[in-house]
Amino acid sequence: MIMLVVALLAIYATNAHSEYLYGLTGNMAGTGHTWGMNIGPSGSQSLKINGVFYQYTPVKNTEDDMVVHVRNKRFGTNEYIFSSTDDWSGLPGGIPITKGFVIDNLPIELWGDGSIDVEGSGSVVDANVVYSYKYNNDCLTPMSDPSCSGYTDAVLAMMGNTKIEAYDPLSDENIADLIDEKAELDEEVQQEDEEKVKAKDKLQRMLSGVNDSILYANVTSQNLLMFAMSRSNNLNPYYDKRLAGGEYKETVALNDGKLPDNKKGARVGLAQQLLHTEMVNAQYNQED
Amino acid sequence: MKKLLIASALLASATTALAESTPIVGNVQTRCLITTDTNGVFGNPLPSKLSTASGDGGVVPVVRYDVTLADAYLAKVTTPTAFSLSPSLSDSVTWTGSTQVSKTSDAAMSGYEAAKITYGSTTQFDLTKAGSTWFSSTATAVYGVSKSFPGGSYTAIVLAECIAK
Repeated sequence: MIMLVVALLAIYATNAHSEYLYGLTGNMAGTGHTWGMNIGPSGSQSLKINGVFYQYTPVKNTEDDMVVHVRNKRFGTNEYIFSSTDDWSGLPGGIPITKGFVIDNLPIELWGDGSIDVEGSGSVVDANVVYSYKYNNDCLTPMSDPSCSGYTDAVLAMMGNTKIEAYDPLSDENIADLIDEKAELDEEVQQEDEEKVKAKDKLQRMLSGVNDSILYANVTSQNLLMFAMSRSNNLNPYYDKRLAGGEYKETVALNDGKLPDNKKGARVGLAQQLLHTEMVNAQYNQED
Repeated sequence: MKKLLIASALLASATTALAESTPIVGNVQTRCLITTDTNGVFGNPLPSKLSTASGDGGVVPVVRYDVTLADAYLAKVTTPTAFSLSPSLSDSVTWTGSTQVSKTSDAAMSGYEAAKITYGSTTQFDLTKAGSTWFSSTATAVYGVSKSFPGGSYTAIVLAECIAK
């Protein structure tokens, strides 16, 4: 029952679309020259400032120096999130000044107190400072969105005095045991898967070796076959060659039928012989 | 063949187009904008008097000048000297009027009032700063010598002009 209510509320919250509403404050400087930033409808969510408008009339003598600051502090700091300064020094007073500024939707949480500060001689009268803002009203009814403050209280209030205890499933022993068992089972399954992967890998490597051997044998046998086939083709042309005319006849002739001794050659041969003999003998005639 | 055809086509167009007028267009964005901020209303404090003064039950008309270029324009505001719409009048109407700076968007514009020039029913302001300036005009019409205005609707016009310097 509780789950059903929560689920229905969640569905309702997701279906509710945010739509911004816009508004203007009254004169924040109506009762003084400092003011707080409690603006917008109570319970409004995501209120953002998107404009500042101010007007005042300076009261001063023309020759006096006077500077007027209209500004807001950044919440929690001494810095300013908005500041506009008008220098009236040497200028006549009496004529109202009005200015408007577009602000880039800065969340209200950033805006600290506002003030009109006067430096120098003179004063400011008829001051009027107005902020424009936008917001969504989703949290005007806290149950409209789980992110709204007061959502849980509103749900509990709607359900009456039913006692609800938060249930932490991780603290349930049965669920813890189931989680442990599942973890062990997962580990076993993981180990089995790893063994299967290893066996498959080994088988693949074996098959890969066999395939390589068969492939190599095939290549070798094919090479031998090709060599045998090409051998007959390469040798047969030599067997078929024939001499043109059938014989080679003698073409060199000795004119007078005599072949004289080569005396020059004999002299060279003799000289070579003598040198050889002398060299051989020199081996035995060495003096120690 | 194809080249010949193209060449002859170009030749034909060259011989037929002897002159061409090329327009030059441009837009000038206004840098001085006049807007009626408040419509005036005549009050009728006396039978012979119509007045825009709040003390007389009227509403002072206010015009706003938005200038984005400093020291480039003069603002001329002319209060009415006649009714643009009224019942038939058989006597003269005496008009008085004035124009003041009622509000500015910059402290430096506060000097406009002191520097204004008035001639006749026209008041001239030198817009030396960029920004918005509001001018209010009062107008009073007195009919004859304490003569009652005839019943009916009365309309008068305040003329606001922005003149480039």
